[in-house]
Amino acid sequence: MTASPATVLMAAGLGLLGVGLYGLLISRNLIRIVVVLQVLVKAAVLALVAAGSASGRIGLSQSLGVTVIVADTVVAVIALALAVQVQRRFGTLDVRALSSLKG
Amino acid sequence: MAGWLIALTIGLPWVGALAVLAAGDRRPRAQHALAVGSATAAAAVSLALLRLGSADVAVRIGAGGVFGEFTFVPDGLGVFLAAIAAVVGGLSVLFSVDYMRGEPQLGRYYALVLMFIGAMAGLVLTGSLLLLFLFWEMVAFCSYALIAFHNDDPKAVAGGIKALIITQIGGLGLLAGVVVIYAHHGTTDIATFLTHAGNLPNGMLTLTAYGFLMAAAAKSAQVPFHTWLPDAMEAPTPVSALIHAATMVNAGVYLLARFYPAFAGVPGWTDVVVAVGVASALLAALMALAATDLKRLLAYSTISQLGYMVYAVGAGAVFASQFHLLSHAVYKALLFLGAGAVIHAVGTRDVRQMGGLGTQMPFVGTVFFLGAGALVGVPVLNGFWSKELILETGINNGSWLPVIVLLATSGLTACYAVRVVWLVFFGHATAFRRAYDAPAAMRISLGVLAAGTVSSWLLAGSLGRSLATTLPFHHLEARSLGDIVTEVITAPPTAAALAVTALGLLAWWRRDRLARAGRFARVAALVIENGSEWINTQVVRAAVRAAAAAGATQTGLLNWNMVGIVAGLLALLGIAAMGTLR
Repeated sequence: MTASPATVLMAAGLGLLGVGLYGLLISRNLIRIVVVLQVLVKAAVLALVAAGSASGRIGLSQSLGVTVIVADTVVAVIALALAVQVQRRFGTLDVRALSSLKG
Repeated sequence: MAGWLIALTIGLPWVGALAVLAAGDRRPRAQHALAVGSATAAAAVSLALLRLGSADVAVRIGAGGVFGEFTFVPDGLGVFLAAIAAVVGGLSVLFSVDYMRGEPQLGRYYALVLMFIGAMAGLVLTGSLLLLFLFWEMVAFCSYALIAFHNDDPKAVAGGIKALIITQIGGLGLLAGVVVIYAHHGTTDIATFLTHAGNLPNGMLTLTAYGFLMAAAAKSAQVPFHTWLPDAMEAPTPVSALIHAATMVNAGVYLLARFYPAFAGVPGWTDVVVAVGVASALLAALMALAATDLKRLLAYSTISQLGYMVYAVGAGAVFASQFHLLSHAVYKALLFLGAGAVIHAVGTRDVRQMGGLGTQMPFVGTVFFLGAGALVGVPVLNGFWSKELILETGINNGSWLPVIVLLATSGLTACYAVRVVWLVFFGHATAFRRAYDAPAAMRISLGVLAAGTVSSWLLAGSLGRSLATTLPFHHLEARSLGDIVTEVITAPPTAAALAVTALGLLAWWRRDRLARAGRFARVAALVIENGSEWINTQVVRAAVRAAAAAGATQTGLLNWNMVGIVAGLLALLGIAAMGTLR
């Protein structure tokens, strides 16, 4: 049996999601966290495209995908700017140093 | 047209709130002007809206079809309560110009008050249960933040937290009811629910009815949730007048009145509502008799008068309850603002330290006297007509016992009202030689409210007609002002109430001889009061402790937060999977 393109895309998306979540759970370096967040968002874009190809509404899914990419770029830029500030203030990029919100 | 007016009534104060914040605390004159301007404009719009009452949806916002549509309906109940919120709100803001002059952080103060006015108007105008809940929580937040406005005062902060926690516990009842209704009807539209309330399974309807009652009792400070209101008196006085006397505490009565047609058939519901109202009216009147703090005394009197309104809804007298709500909003706002002028002038809230202020503050003394007269139910003032109408309708619809208790309560009301007027404005003049009469902005607010106290009962006929024509589920009967006046004058309870009121006044006159009875009543009230105070305090403490314990989950480590997010995602996926497997 051959898998449809949508199934392949969906499986790839799920795989990327798993990689991204695993990365988020274990990463302590802020730059790495930004990178795995990118991986997670790419999983979401793949899922959007898969959904578009399954439902036949390619145009809608592509426009949503482009929107996600734009929004995600902004997120990445801000996150990296924050990482720079963290490095300046704390002298490290380790998230364990950022525990001032501890209850 | 009505849609635009609704949007303006809610939106103008909110825009004003942002503008006041944007003006910044370095420009207090601009802040005063912006706040008064936007609040007055909202009041004018809300008065224009009064003429456009109808049962049709005026604003409809599609919300992606998930929670149904967000609607706003300008029916009689909604436009009338929105007008009270906006008009009393406008007057309180105007009063604040003098009262809050020179205070730091005016921006925060005005922004919260204006946000409250808009949210209160939204609460009564919306036709969607979900929005109702959101506005309900929004006014609770504003109330909390304004009680704790002087956030360097531990009493103010504690009062705010207590008010927040107790009204939130009540709010859970409202949320539970809304969720049940949404689960069964697939919509949060209030009209749909009122049409098909009978379709809910019996247990679910009972749960909803009592959940709503719990929310209403907590919001309207009724027994056993009432202890937050006296502690809320740490708020600046215009806030007490607006939120804790004239508007937000009415939200509970509004909720009961709005959903009365759906819940009236639930076994025991109306009896419990009557019991809650009567118990609150009596107990709070006793407490008011013993109170020595001017604002706490007025707070107890508010609980007592709200008890009358809750009782009226339980007895099926929805119109009488709303009529009394109008009268009470006007004269209690007058009393609170009058008290504010006194407190502002003498710098204490303890009535034992006041006295003889009548000669120094003739204007405030006169309007306060008028307000107290309306509270007591002196004929021709607005409180007289509405209170007697409640007693009269209550006798026609229900049993005698609650009415007798409420009659006795009006005697107590007379007694504590004359006590406070005597202690503050008569008696020996005390050390406050420099007490000054109210400045101009205060005088305008007080004057308008005093005029309302004398004349607002003339609106009874049009209020009744508006309610009767735009509330299809309540089956109200429109009566003209003449009919209502004749009914009140000829009804036997009126004579009885006047006699009891006179007795109450006499009791104050002869207070030395009645000292023992008075002491007994105070002790009884204090025992009951401290009992519920103890329970309320324990609940608040437990909530604060639980919150502190929950702080342990905040490790401050990003990776642990991610574990939480992933676990939540898995749980959601699991729930979704269960839904597809079924």
